[in-house]
Amino acid sequence: MVDAIFNQAGYAGAKKMLDATVLRHSAIAQNLANLETPNYRRVDLNPSFQAEFAKAIKSDGGVDLARVQPTLMEDMNAVASTRDGNTVRLEDEMLNLSQNTLQHGFEIQMVSGALLKLRLAITGKA
Amino acid sequence: MLNLLTGATSTVAALNAERLRLEVITQNIANANTTRGLDGKPYQRQQVAFESALRGAFANPNEVEGNGPTVREVKPDTRAGRTVYQPGHPHANADGMLQLPNVNIHEEMADMIVASRTFEANLAVIKNSRQLATLTMSIGKR
Repeated sequence: MVDAIFNQAGYAGAKKMLDATVLRHSAIAQNLANLETPNYRRVDLNPSFQAEFAKAIKSDGGVDLARVQPTLMEDMNAVASTRDGNTVRLEDEMLNLSQNTLQHGFEIQMVSGALLKLRLAITGKA
Repeated sequence: MLNLLTGATSTVAALNAERLRLEVITQNIANANTTRGLDGKPYQRQQVAFESALRGAFANPNEVEGNGPTVREVKPDTRAGRTVYQPGHPHANADGMLQLPNVNIHEEMADMIVASRTFEANLAVIKNSRQLATLTMSIGKR
């Protein structure tokens, strides 16, 4: 019975997105750490994760969500703006950083909300 | 080991590297007018060279922890400095020409700004990591 709440698309999806957000945070941290490293190429979430994740959510259990794993890869579209061959741009990365932090907060609320609802159902107290 | 602060290892490496760079810049500015060092020559500007610690990790970019920059070497800038005509100076040569250090104060100031901005950006990452950790620990609380 309780399994049902943990297998809901919303809860499972938020959990998976949390994994992705934390992984992305480490990617952004690495990019900002290497802001001044010559020939460094920025990394980000694998773009195929977004697509596979959306497909898994839509299929509603048809595609196993647990098998969709976020991974990092070198950002192939980024172009170096300076002659040192480094593709990290401070402004973009700071924007990504705060966006990612906000997204993390949102996902935490989703997960927390689901757990609090469960507690309400068990105890009858909010 | 449990890692609460995501990405902290690379960020700390960057903070250390930037601090070393700032120290080298300080040294350059401090010696902008040193016309004779221990070797009897004018001071030579020093510069740091960064490199990513785990370049091989690109084979597996998911192992991002510890992938921060390290300072490979601090090496002297070999460009020639300015010479000025200053016959009375104790370090001037027979023709009265004085060899100045190859430190360009404008260049150093620009480098200093870049280094401190990079430092700040990495501090912001730490702050955000903390926020992420605090939020994560609040799961299930009201």
